[in-house]
Amino acid sequence: MTTPAFPEGVKRCGNGQFILWLLPAFLVLLIAVYAMFRVWFYGLNQTNMNDAYGFAIWIWADLAVIALGGGAFFSGFLAYIIGVKNVKNIINFAVVLGVVCYTSALLILGLDVGQPLRGWFIFWHANIHSMLTEVAFCLTIYLGVLIVEFIPVILENPKIQKNRFFHHMAHNMHEIMAVFAATGVFLSFFHQGSLGGVPGVLYGRPFAFREGLFIWPWTFFLFTWSAAAVGPLFTATMCRLAEFITGKRLVKDDVYRLLAKISGWMLLTYIIAKSIDTIYWATVTAPARGFTLMDFYSNNPAYYGIWILIAEILICGFLPALILITQKGRENKKLLFGAAILAIIGLCINRWVMVLQVLAAPLKPFQEEWFVYSPAWTEVITTILPVAYGIILISLAYRFLPLFPQERELNP
Amino acid sequence: MQKIPSHTKARHYGMVIDLDKCTGCATCMVACYSENNVSFRDDESVKLLSINWIQVYKLTNGKPFPDTEVCYLPQPCMQCDGKDFGHPPCVSVCPAVATDFDSPTGIVSQITTRCFGCRYCMAACPYHSRKFNWWDPVWPADMQNYLSPDVSPRMRGVIEKCTFCYHRFQQARQKAYAEGNPEDIGEDDYQTACTQACPSGAITFGDLDDPAHEVYKLKNNRYAFRLLERLGTNPSVYYLSTRKWVHRACDNYLENEEPAAFANKQA
Amino acid sequence: MKIDRRCFLSLAGGLVAGHLLSPVPWKVTDDLSIWTQNWPWTPVPETGPVTWKNTTCTMCPGGCGIKVRIIKDRVIKIEGREDHPVNRGSLCPLGYASIQYLYGPSRVKSPMKRIGERGSGNYEPITWEEAITEVSGKLGDLRKSGKSHTVACISGSDKGTIPHLFKRFLEAYGSPNFIRTPSAKDAHETAAYLAQGKKAQNVGFDLENAGYIVSFGCGLLDGCGSPGYQFSSYSRFDKDHTLVQVEPRLSNTAAKAKKWMPAKPGTDGALALGMAHVIIKKGLYNRNFIENHSFGFEDWTDDDGNIHMGFKGLVKGYTPSMVSEITGLAAGQIESLATDFARAQHPVAVCGYNECTVSSDIDKTLAVHALNALVGNINQPGGMIVFSDPEYNLPEVEKDQIASDGTAKPRADRAGTAEYPQTRYLLNMLPETIMGANGNDLPIEALLVTDANPVYTMEDNETAQEAFARIPFIVNFSSFMDETAQFADIILPDHHFLEGFRDVPAPDGVGKPVTSLSAPVVKPLYNTRNTGDVIISIAKSLGGTIDASFPWNNYEAFLKQAYNDQYTDLSRSGYVVSADKPAPWESAFANERGKYEFYPTMRHTAGNDDKSKLPDFRQVDIPGDKTNDALVLIPYKSPRIASGAIANPPFMTKTIDADMLKHERLFIQVNPETAGKLNLKQGDAAVVKTPSGEATVLVDLFEGIMPGIIAMPAGLGHTAYSKFIAGKGVNVNALLKPVFDPTFGLNKAWGIRASLQKA
Ligand SMILES: Nc1nc2c(c(=O)[nH]1)N[C@H]1C(S)=C(S)[C@@H](COP(=O)(O)OP(=O)(O)OC[C@H]3O[C@@H](n4cnc5c(=O)[nH]c(N)nc54)[C@H](O)[C@@H]3O)O[C@H]1N2
Ligand SMILES: Nc1nc2c(c(=O)[nH]1)N[C@H]1C(S)=C(S)[C@@H](COP(=O)(O)OP(=O)(O)OC[C@H]3O[C@@H](n4cnc5c(=O)[nH]c(N)nc54)[C@H](O)[C@@H]3O)O[C@H]1N2
Ligand code: SF4
Ligand code: SF4
Ligand code: SF4
Ligand code: SF4
Ligand code: SF4
Ligand SMILES: [Mo]
Repeated sequence: MTTPAFPEGVKRCGNGQFILWLLPAFLVLLIAVYAMFRVWFYGLNQTNMNDAYGFAIWIWADLAVIALGGGAFFSGFLAYIIGVKNVKNIINFAVVLGVVCYTSALLILGLDVGQPLRGWFIFWHANIHSMLTEVAFCLTIYLGVLIVEFIPVILENPKIQKNRFFHHMAHNMHEIMAVFAATGVFLSFFHQGSLGGVPGVLYGRPFAFREGLFIWPWTFFLFTWSAAAVGPLFTATMCRLAEFITGKRLVKDDVYRLLAKISGWMLLTYIIAKSIDTIYWATVTAPARGFTLMDFYSNNPAYYGIWILIAEILICGFLPALILITQKGRENKKLLFGAAILAIIGLCINRWVMVLQVLAAPLKPFQEEWFVYSPAWTEVITTILPVAYGIILISLAYRFLPLFPQERELNP
Repeated sequence: MQKIPSHTKARHYGMVIDLDKCTGCATCMVACYSENNVSFRDDESVKLLSINWIQVYKLTNGKPFPDTEVCYLPQPCMQCDGKDFGHPPCVSVCPAVATDFDSPTGIVSQITTRCFGCRYCMAACPYHSRKFNWWDPVWPADMQNYLSPDVSPRMRGVIEKCTFCYHRFQQARQKAYAEGNPEDIGEDDYQTACTQACPSGAITFGDLDDPAHEVYKLKNNRYAFRLLERLGTNPSVYYLSTRKWVHRACDNYLENEEPAAFANKQA
Repeated sequence: MKIDRRCFLSLAGGLVAGHLLSPVPWKVTDDLSIWTQNWPWTPVPETGPVTWKNTTCTMCPGGCGIKVRIIKDRVIKIEGREDHPVNRGSLCPLGYASIQYLYGPSRVKSPMKRIGERGSGNYEPITWEEAITEVSGKLGDLRKSGKSHTVACISGSDKGTIPHLFKRFLEAYGSPNFIRTPSAKDAHETAAYLAQGKKAQNVGFDLENAGYIVSFGCGLLDGCGSPGYQFSSYSRFDKDHTLVQVEPRLSNTAAKAKKWMPAKPGTDGALALGMAHVIIKKGLYNRNFIENHSFGFEDWTDDDGNIHMGFKGLVKGYTPSMVSEITGLAAGQIESLATDFARAQHPVAVCGYNECTVSSDIDKTLAVHALNALVGNINQPGGMIVFSDPEYNLPEVEKDQIASDGTAKPRADRAGTAEYPQTRYLLNMLPETIMGANGNDLPIEALLVTDANPVYTMEDNETAQEAFARIPFIVNFSSFMDETAQFADIILPDHHFLEGFRDVPAPDGVGKPVTSLSAPVVKPLYNTRNTGDVIISIAKSLGGTIDASFPWNNYEAFLKQAYNDQYTDLSRSGYVVSADKPAPWESAFANERGKYEFYPTMRHTAGNDDKSKLPDFRQVDIPGDKTNDALVLIPYKSPRIASGAIANPPFMTKTIDADMLKHERLFIQVNPETAGKLNLKQGDAAVVKTPSGEATVLVDLFEGIMPGIIAMPAGLGHTAYSKFIAGKGVNVNALLKPVFDPTFGLNKAWGIRASLQKA
């Protein structure tokens, strides 16, 4: 008898259909890789960045992707450290998502720096005061942890399991996973925080600058908090999307509801903290530097003005939080995922505002105009790259690995 | 009798630029290009892609003809002292220590061979003093001949910025050592290229903390101020102008606030 | 095989450690980063001992002393000479950037002969011997066929020994046609001649000692005259100095002036007369000067008994209220300007080194000179200084019959003819004359161009280009592939100024008689030759009296003889100041009366309708019709754009503001009020149309320009040189048109009517 390539007892589509499904993603990947090589070969002049927009769509995507990939660390935290049993049913998927997000993040960083071949200077000549150093260290180590977490999942492929070495290896790794999970969680807390620190410490940029605790600006905590809150929602939403695409049920609804409940409360507390932060910043931090709140929200050439703040805090903050903390909201799947999507958008807006609007706002009063920037095709395609690459990796993982322990039970 | 102490006297170099004097001629910019091997391209009209270590901005008071006034503002790197003399916004963020605060001079260095081009410093600098090499610098064939060996040409993918012509400080220090008097780098021994070049004498350079230096007096002038001073960056570049609108244009003030030089003082 | 936990861990650990311990990844990573730090295409400048050499910048007529930093025969940097009397350390940006021309891609690297169509830029290198044989052959033929007078020389300057060699050559060869490009000097020297009686004098202003300067549109801080001199004078201004700037646009000079008086353009003459009115009425003029050293202040009677109105009588009509109406300035302002001016220590009125259009309005210039005379500030500290060129110690030119006949012929540009007897050069007339002639009877059969770029700098540019295209043989001496060089049949490239000798007398507008020496600081990089040497060679190969008129082996020998005993000083210190003090009033005025003539009796009147010789205000009617072209276009100068003298080197183009040039598009300055009426916003593309041409530009809203006036910077829109300047912006000269003064033939236009419409 031949060993099946797929996890035990689940149905998968035919190879032809599977390849067809991956084709568009591969195409995107191909163009993106071309763009990537152009950037590496000819340099960053292949983008539309400039001396005002030193950070651009990539870095936003980077921060957003890392925050959303935070589902992995927070699920890990819930599953392995707090011991919330039910989360285990989605943890493998969360790990795969995490791997996608973090590898993409590092790839983008490798693309974004002007001298990629000197990238390792960040470790070698590390400046411990720099938030970016903290980010780089934690991010790299955490990606290592994620991969370690991912390996046993890979090893569970029936074909691989047949090999005794890998069988035992998987077993052994499972046993020590809690240690890795704990390390991962610790690292994650830090790098999410450091990412928050990246804009928060910019005291020359009153739009981003935040006072804070010890060496950390408030954004340090807000970023971790928001990633922890929204990350699991992203995991859940992606899982739901997978259900939609495969036409199968993959996890039980109570898993969704559990994640939603936890996230809901996290989100609510986060958004309250964020509001307090915003109010303090608008009434104390900014005015001390001669700015009023509206200075940062008027004359924006994108015309969204103050609406971006309203969208972030009210529509994509309080609203989903309130939906998610109520039982009724969670019971209704449409509401639940509607709220989840809002929260995800809110998080992306937050990262957008904290990296890009920071640079767009004019500081010198004699330079009244906002800096504008529109990404070049090379930037857009390489920003989409993680999506294509994510589709491919997740599809492969789903096809060949037992990501969802409940799948067999739910699809008899 | 020669005695060579181990280090030179700590200095705090800075500049005072008289905006009422500056004519906007841009000689400082050209002198800086020439002194520091700044590269150029055939289209330099997009200023956010153009490398300038000192940029002359044009300010107007916004009033209609004929009450219009124009003021030019040359802006090099402000060599910020940052918080607690030593933490300029750009320095603390650089992950690779490719830019650093030199406490013996107060100058913010830039090591282009160490910079890996993450541009975090650029985001941190509120003055747009930092310029990125988006392209490989190319000099038309024979023009490489005029490049100065004192300042290495930069390569694509790194940040560069004004260094207060640090190589001139090094030369002055070397000379002082050679003369057996390392404590004694005089005001004239070390001047930046733009200061020397300014045909209108709008720029003064020296030790901000040395009462014997001209800048010491000038920075204490009632009308001295610094660009975006309220951000707490502590720039080492001061400006002078007797015009209130210029002060207002150089920092952010709430409606009820007055620039320091004009607040609580009888006109 | 059973793998336990220990086995697994050690295996994993071993793998990791094994990789990390192997030097390969580390070495590769390290090498790669080192490689990025030493990219073979990033130059590493060679170091070596530093030397400094002094010389003089010739990039513009400013004559600044420079010191050049040299490492191993490479010119690294140019800085200002602190000890030079012209600029005392100051330089303009062009001076610093001029090393880019030494090594720049636009240099002509050897003699060239045109092989393609004119203007196609197709040239082949030839040897110097071939080039000189070709030129002298052609000139010899023309001479033999009795057409020596159809050879002309256009020179950017008529000062110094190089232009002198050309003049001398034409004299020995037999042509009257040495033509200097139009410049602000035309108006000053003509006015000085009329009022003071000596031809070809230099008019400068002792700005460093002046206490109160009224500048009639003089771009003192915009790059006018000798920018180095003006900047350095300005740098010494303190609270005891006042600068008042009169012009319709808030230029850099206006922005730095204590007071900006935006008079309507073209009305300066009226303002000067209005000031004179106030000064005379209040009795604030210098009695000693007026009574003892001037003529024509009061009404006077000539030998025939005719009574002539004097200057005093003329200005009676120019009351502040009337002048207010003409200029648009408040009457009170005019009155206090005049009073402050006359009461100040060392007041001086300046004009002329202004208007890119080279507006040579003699009435206006006379009126401004008269202001200086009124306050007795001619040849005084802080005043208007008039002096002559150095005299060269040279043997007479030997002339044969052809030479005598040829030089006696009327000039092709009509200067000095019965039509325009008091004018020396009228380049602007040339295109018309050439276009008017029929093919076999061209007034110019061969043209030598040196130190000038008329194909670019001449107004009504299209006509000028057509005219140049008709000239059968053009020889250009430029060091650079400029627009005129692209028209040439033969190019005989001069050295860059850092490679060759040249004297630099009488820098533009400088208030002292300084002559500097430009001496080589590096060996010539390319196969170029000093133009002086080349002229001598051509003369020699023409033989006969021409050869005999050039008894020097080379230019240096000629230069030494020309300066005689001054040469030692000149070459030792790099400059000489030929007189400590300007001529005193007693001996300054060379006319019959030995006085400053407010009433310039010498003034030629043939073309003057009213026959008055007084500097009355005559409104110049600029080209264009008032209804269709409701706006007035004026060119302006920016210190960041070399306009005239040479095109921008890359460093200067790099400094051009984002509101002046965007990619290849030039901005035109428009008052927001005017723009509002035309429905134009900042950055809009618009078409500007004048009687001479049209161009697409971008709109820059600028509050500092008078409503109804629009302004474009001069010096852009080049088509030659290199990619660093060609194809950027618009050549404003192509939109301008001269208005000829009926008496002097000089261009009086201060602008042109224009329309502006959204593109
Ligand atoms: N760097 C550099 N400097 C140079 C040169 C160069 O090539 N490079 N060239 C040199 C030469 S050859 C010369 S001749 C000088 C000339 O150069 P400048 O003397 O500087 O002449 P513009 O700057 O053209 O002066 C034009 C000004 O006059 C004003 N204006 C226009 N019409 C009127 C009017 O009717 N009345 C008044 N009052 N003002 C008016 C305009 O607003 C404008 O600001 O520059 C010299 N300087
Ligand atoms: N747009 C515009 N037009 C103007 C003016 C303006 O300000 N703006 N100003 C007017 C005035 S005031 C003047 S004086 C004239 C000046 O105008 P021109 O006298 O025609 O001279 P430039 O344009 O200065 O061009 C001088 C040329 O000489 C060449 N050259 C440079 N160095 C050397 C050298 O060492 N030897 C030789 N043989 N040639 C050399 C260069 O190629 C340059 O193109 O232009 C007038 N026209
Ligand atoms: S050189 Fe001097 S006057 Fe010219 S722009 Fe620079 S600071 Fe201003
Ligand atoms: S761009 Fe270079 S100097 Fe700036 S922060 Fe990054 S490594 Fe440091
Ligand atoms: S001006 Fe900018 S680059 Fe210079 S020290 Fe200050 S923050 Fe750093
Ligand atoms: S101090 Fe030196 S490096 Fe800085 S702008 Fe001036 S010339 Fe350039
Ligand atoms: S003003 Fe003229 S002579 Fe002086 S440095 Fe500038 S270009 Fe040279
Ligand atoms: Mo001129």
